Formats: sequence, structure tokens, C-alpha cells
Amino acid sequence: MPFGISRRATVWLAGLIVAANGFFPAVWILLTSLKTETELIRSPITYLPEAATLDNYATAFTAQPILRFMWNSFVVATLSTLLCVLVSALAAYALTRLRIPRRNLIMSVLLAVAMFPLISLMVPLFKVMRELGLLNTYLALILPYAVLSMPVCTLVMASFFQDIPPDLEAAAMVDGCSRVGALFRVIIPLSAPGVFTAAILAFVNAWDEFLLALTMMNRVNMRTLSVGITLYQGEFAFPWPLISAALIIAIVPICIIIAVFQERVVGGLTSGGVKG
Amino acid sequence: MISDGAISTKKDLSERALGTLLLAPAALLLLVIVVYPIATLFWNSLHGVDNANPAAGEQFVGLKNYFTAFEDDRFWASTWHTILYIVATVPGALVVGLGLALLANMPFKVKWPVRLGLLLPWALPLVFAGLIFRWFFEYRTGVVNDTLMRLGFEPLSWLSDPNLAFAAISVAIVWKSSSFMALMLLAGLQTIPKSLYEAAEVDGASKWQQFVEITLPMLRPAIAVALIFRTITAIQTFDIPYAMTGGGPGDSTETLAMYIHKTTLDFLDFGYGSALAALMFVLSMVATSGYLKYTRRSSGRSGD
Repeated sequence: MPFGISRRATVWLAGLIVAANGFFPAVWILLTSLKTETELIRSPITYLPEAATLDNYATAFTAQPILRFMWNSFVVATLSTLLCVLVSALAAYALTRLRIPRRNLIMSVLLAVAMFPLISLMVPLFKVMRELGLLNTYLALILPYAVLSMPVCTLVMASFFQDIPPDLEAAAMVDGCSRVGALFRVIIPLSAPGVFTAAILAFVNAWDEFLLALTMMNRVNMRTLSVGITLYQGEFAFPWPLISAALIIAIVPICIIIAVFQERVVGGLTSGGVKG
Repeated sequence: MISDGAISTKKDLSERALGTLLLAPAALLLLVIVVYPIATLFWNSLHGVDNANPAAGEQFVGLKNYFTAFEDDRFWASTWHTILYIVATVPGALVVGLGLALLANMPFKVKWPVRLGLLLPWALPLVFAGLIFRWFFEYRTGVVNDTLMRLGFEPLSWLSDPNLAFAAISVAIVWKSSSFMALMLLAGLQTIPKSLYEAAEVDGASKWQQFVEITLPMLRPAIAVALIFRTITAIQTFDIPYAMTGGGPGDSTETLAMYIHKTTLDFLDFGYGSALAALMFVLSMVATSGYLKYTRRSSGRSGD
């Protein structure tokens, strides 16, 4: 049936366009990272590397302390995620399971914080951190990152908490659990996917952040990955194969996370936004 | 929330106490990281260093910094650039995002390439996207000029001409932000009942008619949320122009956020930087209150 074939071809083409749109920059820097500097400056440019080399990756590890950048990003993202998820879980529980006054006002404040212009926060926060002597410490990023992801994490977890029948919680309390005990023994385990989704979103947000990381950490050893990558550019020249190799190294962890948890991430992103 | 009508005042009170206790950590963090800094932002914006007597440090100068801002050409220019980015990239991201969402809504057997294709641009740090697009638009070795030359056109100096740099940065912003928009719109698309399309098919409506008569109206709430959301983030545009041009050539692609950053951290003028940041804060809060008003109205309408 010709109609069936053309229909399948349309679906194929649609998928190809969406995937290509998402992947082409990553594919292009992957190809660039395998080229030599001499191949790069040839005109017209080559698409596939003629003599693929891994030298740029070796240089990427020695030209800048990229593993140190990665470690910094990892520490900051992990600890801010833990803090954020814990605080947001308590808040989400209070907002969904308890009868508290001004619930809508609190929700609005949270949404307003989510929309906050980071640059306005950066100026005074820099001063506060400087006065506290926290510049160039992990804490200077962990605390703000935890707060910045708090709104979306609270919303995501709240939507999961809401779906748990109240009877389960009541049963746990009859069995001698306190309310908080029921939260940790019943609610959180049952909404594990929601807690997990919130954690992934907080982690990616922290991993990607640039402005605060640029401002709070000015010692090379304390730079996070997003800022550290910009250090590969020379004073006047852009060693593109080297920068591309560093970029590839830097995006591998984030690619693994979204590849493994893709469904959760999509669910989390859209539940925060569209439900409003 | 269901009330069984038999809840005693005592239980109410203890619930309220527990609620306060559970909300306290979040409130405390908000206080330290957001409320206190913003309060000091406004206070700092009323201070400045007197050039005639710099040894005295920062002094109270009243609204002087705000008057300076209103007469500062670079402030107006960077604000104007920010507005231009909003005007160019918000509708751009909507059109591209809607296209991607419609394509991604097809019945795929294998879903992960499409999902990853939408997720990767979202997960990529903004500054990385800026670097990669800078590489695309490079004059001699960039892939854009190479394509132009292969098609028989002259190469363009994308990043050293103010208008072309603006175009190149806008393309990068649209690419980076459209996939998140597509994810939000896709969630909206999936809530549209299939029966509507089947009924339209029976009535002999064309695909285009179905799109205009069913898809667009049903998608309106999702489009509105995505647009407002995108506008608010576009006000803060920083990373991509920072990585692509650093604000250049000259200051021609500098955004307000970049100017604030330079004023504060490069020129170390805290008072003036704070005044600029306060102005941006107000601008952003006006947009956010519009967002909140809209979502509250729409959630009321759906009879939640």
C-alpha cells in the first residue's frame, strides 16, 4: 500500500529532523576534536577527519586541570542536589499533605523565585560571600544552587506526593509512625520516581550553571567545568580541536545522565512547566 | 484537599506547627540566599564612591546612581540589545519549538533518538552552546561560511559585524531554547484527545485545517506558559553572547546582564552595578507577575 509506505517515511523523516537538530553541534565538535590543527585551517574545510587523532584529548587533560574542574562540578552539583531535594521534600510535604494557611501565596513566592534574574542576585551575593570569606569555597555555589532548583524540585515532588492515597499514610500512623516518620517511610519511598526526577533536574541545573560559578570562584583550582572550558581559549587564538576535545569530555557525564534517565527528565521538565 | 469535618482545633494547630517546621529550612535558605541579598542590593544601589574623595570609600549618595543610569548611553544600548534579543529569539524559539514538537509527536516505534534530540540542547550548558556556535560562525574555518562558499556566496564576517553578530547569537539562542519549548509544547500536544482529529477527519477537514482549528486553540495555554517563561529567561541573556562575542564588536552585542557583570566585577563599581541590577530586578518582576497572574487564572479556569 503506497500510502502506508509514505506515512512511514514521513515518520522516519520527522524523527531524523528532530534527532539531527539536537545532535549536529555535538557531532560536529566530536569530528573537530579528532582533527589536527593543520587539517583544521585548510580551505575548503574537511568534514570527516582525514587522519583521526586522539592527541587533542591528551592535550585537554594536560593544558588545564580538567579532571579537577570535573571534580569541582561533581562536588558542587551533588551536595547542592542533596540539600535541595531534602529541603524541597519537606516543603512539598507541607504544601500537599498539611492544611496550612496561605498555601497559594507560598506557591507563588516559590514560582517567583524560579523566575529570578540571577544577575540581580549575583551582585549582592558576591558581596555577602566575600564578607563571609566564602569566595572560592564549594559552599559559595552549593547554597545558591540548592535554592535556585528548590522551586522546580518542590513542584515536581508535590505533584507526586499528591497522588499517594491519604489512607496509606494514615495506616502508617496507626502503626505508630509519627507524621515525619510516615513522610520518610511511606511518602518518599512511594514517590521515589518523583524524588529522583527532582534530583536529576537539580543536578543538571547545578552542573550547567555559569554566571555564579564565574563570579564566586576565581581561583583556577576551584573553577567548575562550565567556566573551566572557557579557559582553553588562548589570548588571541582559538585552538578549536583542543576546545572541542575538552567540550566532549565535559558533556560526557551530562549525556550519560540524560540518556539513562531520559523519560524521567522529560516527565519532570514538563510537569513543572505546563501544570504551572 | 478533603476535610472530614471532624478535625479538632487541636489537630489543626499541631498541623500548622508541623507545617511551619517543615517549611522552615526552605524559608531559611530563601532568606539567606535571596531575600537578604536583594535587600542589600537596593541598599547598595544608594551608595557610591565619591570621585573627589575616594579614600572615604562607599558613601550614601541617594538616587544618584539611578540618575546616572538614565543618562548612561551604554545602559540604554545594552537594554536595547536585550529587548532586541527578546523580540528576535522568543518568537523564533516558539516557531522552531512548535515545529519540533509537532514532528516529535508522531507515532515513533523507537522513541529514544527523538527524546534525546530534544533533551541534549536543553542539557548542554548555555556557554558550551555559545562556544560551539562561535565555532560554526568562525570566518575562515567555520562550517556556515564553508556552506555559503560551496553554494557560491561570499563568506560573511559573522562575528565582527554588529548586525551579523546579532543574527549569529540569535540563531544560537533559538537553537538552545527551542528544544525546551518543544518539550513543553509536546506535553500540551499529548493532552489533546485523538477523537477530535478523528471527528475532523470524518468531516473532511484537511491537515492544515485540523492544525488551525484543533491543535492551535487546544495548545494555547501551553504556548502562553512557554512564551512567558521564555521571555523571562531571555531578559537575563548572558552566557551565549558572552561566549560568542564577549559583547563585541565594540559593545554592539552587549546585553544588560553583561553590562551589569562588567560594571560590578571588572570596573568594581558596586553602587552603580547594584542600581543597574535593581532596575533589571524590577523589569523581571513585572514580567513574572504577569506569568503568575496568567497561571493562576488558567488553573482557576480548568476548575482545579
